Amino acid sequence: MKVRFWGVRGSCATPGGRYLRYGGNTTAIEVRAASGHRILIDLGTGVTELAKELMAAEFGQGRGELPVLLTHTHVDHIQGLPFFTPLFIRGNSIRIMGRELEGASLKEVLQDQLNGHYSPLYGLENLAAGLEVQTLRAGSSWPAEGFEVKTQLAPHGSTSVVACRITADGKSVVIMTDVEHAPEGISSELTELARDCDLLVHDAMFSDSEYTLRAGWGHSSISSAIAAAHAVGAKRLALFHHSPDSSDDRLDMLVQDAAEASSVPLFAAQEGHDVTV
Amino acid sequence: MYLTFWGVRGSYPVPGAATVRYGGHTSCVELRSDRGKCLVIDAGTGLRGLGKKLAQEFRKPDGATYNLILSHVHWDHIQGLPFFEPAYIGDTKIVVHAPRAAAKELRQVIGGITRHEFFPVDLDAVPADFEFHEVVPGSAFEIDEFTVLPIGLNHPFGAVGYRVDADGSSMAYVSDTAPFDRMLHKQHFTAGIEEPSDEDREILKTMRANLVESLREVDTVIYDTHFTSEEYEQFPHWGHSTPEHALQICQEAGVRQLVLYHHAPAHDDDMMDRIAEKFGLLGKEANVVVCVAKEKMTLTMGEVTNPGIVA
Ligand SMILES: [Zn+2]
Ligand SMILES: [Zn+2]
Ligand SMILES: [Zn+2]
Repeated sequence: MKVRFWGVRGSCATPGGRYLRYGGNTTAIEVRAASGHRILIDLGTGVTELAKELMAAEFGQGRGELPVLLTHTHVDHIQGLPFFTPLFIRGNSIRIMGRELEGASLKEVLQDQLNGHYSPLYGLENLAAGLEVQTLRAGSSWPAEGFEVKTQLAPHGSTSVVACRITADGKSVVIMTDVEHAPEGISSELTELARDCDLLVHDAMFSDSEYTLRAGWGHSSISSAIAAAHAVGAKRLALFHHSPDSSDDRLDMLVQDAAEASSVPLFAAQEGHDVTV
Repeated sequence: MYLTFWGVRGSYPVPGAATVRYGGHTSCVELRSDRGKCLVIDAGTGLRGLGKKLAQEFRKPDGATYNLILSHVHWDHIQGLPFFEPAYIGDTKIVVHAPRAAAKELRQVIGGITRHEFFPVDLDAVPADFEFHEVVPGSAFEIDEFTVLPIGLNHPFGAVGYRVDADGSSMAYVSDTAPFDRMLHKQHFTAGIEEPSDEDREILKTMRANLVESLREVDTVIYDTHFTSEEYEQFPHWGHSTPEHALQICQEAGVRQLVLYHHAPAHDDDMMDRIAEKFGLLGKEANVVVCVAKEKMTLTMGEVTNPGIVA
């Protein structure tokens, strides 16, 4: 199984020369099985780069199929949707899966993102490809051909996001982004979800000193990412959802310090890099 | 009067090595009067960097007021707003001037981008006070020493440009707009070119004439030139212009300087170099100085005396 990070940045994209090595696009992760199946997690600006690769293959001819799991609908996780060119090709079949929301349906929220005020697309119905929006219960297994996908709700400030465990080829990657665990640590449900995974991709937006000022904002410190990785017995940890204030040099320093403090081998997720699990 | 570009890109922010020199942030321009009064034009992702700078500047003890004029509310022109640092400082007032474009309420539409499904902090919950003013094409208004004239443009759902006069000089911001020949943009989706009716043609003609009149003798015009002419042939219904169209308008209006702006995400630095060279030469023939907008580039309109910072 291969994991490719197309976008690793949290909150907002960071163009510019100080963000070239880790990358400035907002969140998007592609998981590929040896069978050739793929699943995409989140639709941040990183998907505009993935789109180029997909369009050069079957998606360019309208024969592509792609399941997309949305962790949640904060803008940094969906802002690539209107620019994901496979959606403009008739015949492609793209299925977005997300959790049930309170108050509004997932489809309504995405519809609002594309409403005429905000977007010249004027709504999901104008995307030429077939787009299915599927609402599922977090805590259950979600359907994606070629994978086993288990999900669980994770706390994110005043709301919740979907954490997922994706298994193929006898390996498992767990994606837990935009989470802030309780002060006593990761919940038993999330521990169960992530237990003994081969790779844990975890929110690590804040350095420990930044976190003291931003507790309650719904994001993790690097230390709490390490603690979660340790608690679940992860084999490797990828620090993810980097702060827009973390330049390449700053991230280098943070990762070096983190690696020394962690019993679980870790690295900072880097845009465009393939990780073999 | 002088200005600095914080975001020059159209559609969506483009990080990476291909955009380091011209910049990857979406639309945002900082305009300053000679004595340092600030007027922000558009609130794309570039606004985050500008907000950090403004938050660091000296503030009077009774708080500061920031004025933002928006061309329209497509994502690439407003998505920096939730990251505007002054919004998180108490005793701050943020006044947003925007075209209503058939929206029921500006606050509701612009505030809508912070609905809790999109962003963790609601616009109504931030420490700063937001105030919304509707602008109407043709109705000039004053902000500090700036006289601001909204100009109707041809773009899906509607957009306005602005001519701004201050300190004896002038600039204009003309983005986003399609040219005024092929189709009139309205408030519905179009999968391709929509043949204009006779009435549409009349409206387009008036809109174009009005734009040229509004830009008459302006010193510096920032213009939506998203497309090359080849790209425009493919996507004439997307609501953006080309450098050729912009140059034609600026030449007719007797503009001194044209700044190409709202670069397509796919236009990398090398391509922007070629565009700069090509239209620099064509501009000479047309008697218009042509340059390409770059992030952090500062341009001066007229003679700036004693540039200062006033909060
Ligand atoms: Zn996020
Ligand atoms: Zn735009
Ligand atoms: Zn627009």
